Amino acid sequence: MIQVNNLSKSFESIHAVKNISFSIQKGEIFGLLGPNGAGKSTTINMMSAILKSDTGEVLIGGTNLNKNQNHCKALIGVVPQEISLYDDFSAYDNLMFWGSLYKVPTKTLKQRITDLLDLIGLSERKNDLIKTFSGGMKRRVNIAAALLHKPKILFMDEPTVGVDPQSRNRIFEIIETLNKQGITIVYTTHYMEEVERLCNNIAIIDDGVIIAQGTQSELQKKSHVKEAVELTFNTINAAQEENLRALFDLSVNANTVRIQCDVNKELSKIIAACNTNALDIQDLQIKKVNLEAIFLSLTGKQLRD
Amino acid sequence: MILTILKKDLKLFFSDKKAVLLTFLMPILLISLFAFAFGGTGGNNNNANPIKLLIVDMDQSIDSKSVISKLDSLNEIVLIPKDSTEATSLVLKGKYVGVLIFEKGFQEAINLGADLPLELKYDAAREIEMGMLQSVLMQNLMQTVGQKSVKAKMNTYFDKNFAGIPSGVKDKIFADMETGKSGMNGSMNMNMGLKMTSVIKENADRGNLGLIQAVAGTAIMMLLFSIAGIGGGLLDEKEAGTLKRLLYSPLKATDILFGKMGAALVLAILQLVVMFIFSWLVFGLPIFKNVTALVLMILATAFAVSSFGMLLVAIAKTRQQLQGLSTIVILVMSAVGGSMVPLFVMPAIMQKIAMVSVNYWGIQGFYDIFWRNLGIIDMLPKMGVLVGIGLVLSIISVRLFKRNIMKLIYS
Repeated sequence: MIQVNNLSKSFESIHAVKNISFSIQKGEIFGLLGPNGAGKSTTINMMSAILKSDTGEVLIGGTNLNKNQNHCKALIGVVPQEISLYDDFSAYDNLMFWGSLYKVPTKTLKQRITDLLDLIGLSERKNDLIKTFSGGMKRRVNIAAALLHKPKILFMDEPTVGVDPQSRNRIFEIIETLNKQGITIVYTTHYMEEVERLCNNIAIIDDGVIIAQGTQSELQKKSHVKEAVELTFNTINAAQEENLRALFDLSVNANTVRIQCDVNKELSKIIAACNTNALDIQDLQIKKVNLEAIFLSLTGKQLRD
Repeated sequence: MILTILKKDLKLFFSDKKAVLLTFLMPILLISLFAFAFGGTGGNNNNANPIKLLIVDMDQSIDSKSVISKLDSLNEIVLIPKDSTEATSLVLKGKYVGVLIFEKGFQEAINLGADLPLELKYDAAREIEMGMLQSVLMQNLMQTVGQKSVKAKMNTYFDKNFAGIPSGVKDKIFADMETGKSGMNGSMNMNMGLKMTSVIKENADRGNLGLIQAVAGTAIMMLLFSIAGIGGGLLDEKEAGTLKRLLYSPLKATDILFGKMGAALVLAILQLVVMFIFSWLVFGLPIFKNVTALVLMILATAFAVSSFGMLLVAIAKTRQQLQGLSTIVILVMSAVGGSMVPLFVMPAIMQKIAMVSVNYWGIQGFYDIFWRNLGIIDMLPKMGVLVGIGLVLSIISVRLFKRNIMKLIYS
């Protein structure tokens, strides 16, 4: 559906995006994950034709974006990071305005607005001014405004910034509904949990470079990060530690031992080894692999640095 | 503690270059402008530019030529010979302050002591220049043909009322008059029969000159401010992120600018219409005497002003920049262009500089409608200039906007 080839962009001396390439299949929720300033928004802006790349190309449904912008723009909807709505217009008037820019026939547009207001759960508030809405409600209208022309692809640039958990869940549900309707979604965020929940294909971007791309399990393999069992004992002596080290890949911090392993296969073996070595288990935690750990492993830094 | 606060505030103030510029440069600029406009640079009026006066000599006599020659030698006046019809038309159109017409029989009237067939047709819209001109003319007419005329007049009077008066007595009276011994010098400065005629006939249908100046001058200046404000909405869109969203849609950057310009134009037209209707209702400005010309003039002025507003918007990157820029540019342009003070009180050089401003062409156009009663054909050049200014500014704005739009989004 989308093919990005060797895209680069510099702003004076700052190389915001450095020769990145990736592809997105139809119907995917593609996550572009990276810290602030990694190049996510610049990439989205180039993919949505408002920013010209220095090098490279973007193909939307096989069409070169720069060569046929109008055709491509009709296929794309963009949810910007900012709440880009007119505060002194009602939700309905905002949607009418943004829809009219795509020359959607008035009758069709009105029906589409009704459907979208239903989807975002704001039909009752359609005539209220945007400035009277909460942050979460504004975010939902912000999403609806990108869907009026029935785009095949939706770019969502950090659409949950500054939103409370309840509204965030509501937005996730909307995204999942849209994806079920067949819309391909490109989702940028610096929240790991959002990518983990929503995205089936992820690209990790840092300092303008795509560090890795794939499903979460593919990324896990690339990063060599494994699940772990974390055991806290009453006390552990050197001999006991040596015995465990002979059996497992472990690290020790005071009375806590972290064992990297395939938890499903090796948990019973670990507990048996503890019993054999007379180790009194005070606490046991299973540490699943998450994107936070993968990102840390791949980039050497925390995502929210 | 107070000193610490004081130092901090001064440091903050001087770190804001725009604020410093507005605080010091702006008043200096305006003071210079007004000082130059009203007082010149030398502290007196000797260096003032001469008044251009049209001359029609239909008498072609020794006396008429002598007066013209004397006037021509003055620094205060530049004489331009024309025929009567063309000269009157030029004054009517506001091109010259007046025309001095020596009718046939000028010399004969002097010799007979009759009222001089001498007429000064003038543009009442330029009353200050007119006052200066009248004073200079009277003074020099007296010096050239005054004594001859008065002597002839008194001779006729003596012959009529004191037929038997010895000629020696008459000669003594005339000699004393010439040397000033009679104490009649003051009365020598009598009206030489100079007929003063405004080329524009006063009638109930004509607007009051001061009112026209106030309405047109203020309307255009305020229009410039409000259009800059409306255009500033584009910068608000940048702040709100809606400008970026507009660009995600199939709209082009120029579509956005033209849309804004269209809105500014409509509002400019509305604002002018409301101001003129108000002036009609409250002050009796005769807005219906040439509706077509008024409508065309409003359209042309609104177009030029809205284009100017858009240029300011295309240059500025933030609301603050726009505010500073528009305050300086609009105030200076309004002062120079005649919105704040009538142009006729300014030196000729300032009146020339005024021609680069939108205000000048707008105000002069409204003068043509309400004061000079000109027809549409005569007003076309001024409308054309306004439309031309609008077109040029629009082209520059579009180019600047296209070049700056991404900077605008990412600044």
